[in-house]
Amino acid sequence: MPDHTSNGMQCNEFDLLLSDALDGVLSGAELDRFEAHARACKTCGPLMADAGAGRQWLKGLTEVEPPASLVNNILASTTGVDTQRLMARAPVSQPRISWWEQVQASFLEPIWAMVRQPRFAMSFGMAFFALSVGLTMAGVKPADLAQISLRPSAIRRTYYNTQARVVRYYDNVKLVYDVQAAVRGIKRNLNPAEPGRSKQNDHKNDTTQQPEQKQERNYSQTGEQLILASAQLGPSLRDLPVVSVTTYRRFV
Amino acid sequence: MEDVQVVAMLVRRCIAGDAAAWEEIVHTYNRRIYNICYRFAGSADDAQDLTQEVFIKMYRTLPSYDQSKGALVTWVTTITRNLLVDHFRKTKQDRMTDSIDSTSSEHEEAQPLSEQIPDQSAPPDAHVHSREVSETVHQALAKLSPELREAVILRDLQDMDYKEIAAVLRVPEGTVKSRINRGRAELARLLQRTYRQVM
Repeated sequence: MPDHTSNGMQCNEFDLLLSDALDGVLSGAELDRFEAHARACKTCGPLMADAGAGRQWLKGLTEVEPPASLVNNILASTTGVDTQRLMARAPVSQPRISWWEQVQASFLEPIWAMVRQPRFAMSFGMAFFALSVGLTMAGVKPADLAQISLRPSAIRRTYYNTQARVVRYYDNVKLVYDVQAAVRGIKRNLNPAEPGRSKQNDHKNDTTQQPEQKQERNYSQTGEQLILASAQLGPSLRDLPVVSVTTYRRFV
Repeated sequence: MEDVQVVAMLVRRCIAGDAAAWEEIVHTYNRRIYNICYRFAGSADDAQDLTQEVFIKMYRTLPSYDQSKGALVTWVTTITRNLLVDHFRKTKQDRMTDSIDSTSSEHEEAQPLSEQIPDQSAPPDAHVHSREVSETVHQALAKLSPELREAVILRDLQDMDYKEIAAVLRVPEGTVKSRINRGRAELARLLQRTYRQVM
């Protein structure tokens, strides 16, 4: 609303007095000033006319009758649902509730209500089924559980045994075996001599600063080492080609 | 106006668990709350749901009512207004998608009281005309902004004084008066436009 003065009254003041004027509580000099401003001001005059008209329209609206069922619905949705609140507030003597009943009411009952839901029961059943199938597949038997020792050394031994069994199983898979052999064959064809690699592997095993002769006597040779078949070079064998044999160390 | 002592006793009885006292409160205020909801929400179904919500909230929070801070009717109206504001925010998106020229929101049960009482003297045309005018004003009211609408409903339809309205809306009394003036003027302009189009 523009705030300009007309006939000694500002538009803001007019706005505040407009309601009182329409209610008929303005009188005397204030009413004169108010009416003078309404006549002179191009904004406030129409505002007063519109506000008066709107008030008349609204006075014409009559009260509507609520539905007959409303009260019953309200009573059903309040006292019907939450009668415990009223009972709790009533000063009638009530039996003392033990701590166990309080725990039951506040903690166990909500959990039990959740557990009783079919959705939860179904999820729990599925999880139990999946777990039992998984344990059966892994070879775990209920009788074995009784023999489990929880000493640290026993746990450690079990861990290493399980790890070794897994590695053994993995290495004995035919597909893995074939793939490893194929990869080694390709590597060998690409780099037949690999002197550096061989030397590096020898050096890697040499952690005890032992002489090299001892290393050569080691029976567990690496898979990359070549064993040259040697024999007396007789006249019949001289023409035979040198055959390379590759041994594979297996974790058995 | 409510008798302060009687209302205070009623509230105390209700808090103490007297179901009859609660029933009396429901009987006393259901019409008023329903009318506020109906005029603000514009639909009888919404008004019924909102009225129930108001009473449920009132029932739960009745122990928090402080008589020294104001009359029970002001407290009840404040709860109603807060729920209406929440409802308005929730349904804002729905209203935006609705057509402006939607069908009449008048519910069969939400007839003005004057129309439910048979009037032998008035001609049938007068009934129809009165009903049409009421419906037009009701629809125009629904087009006002919520701030202006709530102010004119509380003043012109519920006859609350400015101080009470200021307490309910939590705004200064001058703001209440300004909103009422603008609401009335805006409503008159909307109705003038409507009738000009009809002519």
